[in-house]
Amino acid sequence: MDDHIRTSDADRARATAMLRDHFAAGHLAAAELDERLAAALNAATFGELRRVLADLPEPGQAEQPGRLAPDRSGLECGYRLLLACYPAAYRRVHQEEMLAVLMTAAPHRSRRPGIREAADLIWGALRVRCQPSRNGAEPGWQDALAVVSVLLPLIVFITTVVHVAGPLSVILDGGAPHFFRNMFPLWLLSQFTGPLALLALSLLRLQRIATRATMALLIGLAYLAILSYWAGGPDPVGVSTIGGGPYLMLALGLEMAAVTASPGRRRGLQLVTWKHVALTVIAAVAVATTSYPWTLVVIPVICAAMVLTSSLGRWLLVLLAIPLGPYVFVPYLYVIAWGSHRSLYVRSVVNPGAPFGQSCVLAAVFLGVFVVAAWRESLRSRKLASHAR
Amino acid sequence: MTELPLREPTFLILTALAAGPQHGYGIMTDVAQISEGRVRLRAGTLYAALNRLDTDHLVEVDREEIVDARLRRYYRLTPAGARRLQREVERMRSTTAVAAQRLKLIGGTS
Repeated sequence: MDDHIRTSDADRARATAMLRDHFAAGHLAAAELDERLAAALNAATFGELRRVLADLPEPGQAEQPGRLAPDRSGLECGYRLLLACYPAAYRRVHQEEMLAVLMTAAPHRSRRPGIREAADLIWGALRVRCQPSRNGAEPGWQDALAVVSVLLPLIVFITTVVHVAGPLSVILDGGAPHFFRNMFPLWLLSQFTGPLALLALSLLRLQRIATRATMALLIGLAYLAILSYWAGGPDPVGVSTIGGGPYLMLALGLEMAAVTASPGRRRGLQLVTWKHVALTVIAAVAVATTSYPWTLVVIPVICAAMVLTSSLGRWLLVLLAIPLGPYVFVPYLYVIAWGSHRSLYVRSVVNPGAPFGQSCVLAAVFLGVFVVAAWRESLRSRKLASHAR
Repeated sequence: MTELPLREPTFLILTALAAGPQHGYGIMTDVAQISEGRVRLRAGTLYAALNRLDTDHLVEVDREEIVDARLRRYYRLTPAGARRLQREVERMRSTTAVAAQRLKLIGGTS
């Protein structure tokens, strides 16, 4: 069209709309926009309009996703990096959409994502990871808890077996004092209180009874731990021995949480795969038998394997670190605090005397509460049955 | 039925969608306008809330468009979502009515 042909209101309106689009795309700054808008509204001929739009790209040229105005590409890279925190399945559906919103909402001349924006994205990623997915495709933390309720009794059983293997071998060699040999069966039973409690918890039908008995056991353990801490000196409840009080407390607490908050043992059995079972068995054996410095090699390898299996593996790692982490790392704190000779004491499994007495008392408490709760439960069901008739 | 009250960002998102299907950035600007600039919704919070609402079947995807070579997805309120918003409004209305009445009695502005 010839430059001297006069423009109409519609032509000028179209030009101002184009200028606004260019501003939104980032080709113009706010001050330039105002200047050019004024010029466009006052343009009498097509020549003047063309000069206003001269250095701007044609409206037909769609922006390629890769070709961006120079100062926005760093911003987009930053956002893509932050969006990598989101789960893969979620990203497949929502990444492009979120990127569009983020780029539109970002201030005009920013080169990097703002601190608040970044923190908000990371927080959002955490929330999305903890939310149940729409069709239940990706197992969330609740499903992982169900798997934990199945696997944790196995782990504690293995560590306890390793724990008693030491005294057992001493007894079989004939090297233990007489009184210990007599009391050994009782001691053995008391050591297995923990695994038995966990097993009882995971059996759904006994859940109510087992929960009450386990609460009693936990309270007893906590009481003794506090007592030993205040008394100082020798270690009645085995706070520093492997398989002792704190480890058992954490395992019991986690199992109770797993049984009450998760979809249940059946779901856990559905989800658990041979890979996870194998890895947790290896982890339990490694944690119970290896010592410095092999632990520093074996544990990271097992963790890496868990992380790489699946998202379920990653959740399992997080949850099982609660009881097993202290089990592995507390001895190192002792080594750091008191030197390496203390670690030998920590690793010793022959520990008759004080811990033995307390373990028997705890076992008796657990069994007593178990029996009383079972009896009351049977009374209750008998009463319900008589009402129903 | 005892259900937990909606958190403010969720409530504002549902209110924004009650006007009609909107895309992410549209919801953000609408929420800023409804709350008179008080609540500034960012993308992370918005999409976490939308994910939750989608799982609970209170919102759903309306359509998708390509604008400026970028994907834009529109969301709309489901009937269940509209009912949920209605219940929340009723709850808040009854509570604020009681508060306003009591303030009037002690001579405050209502």
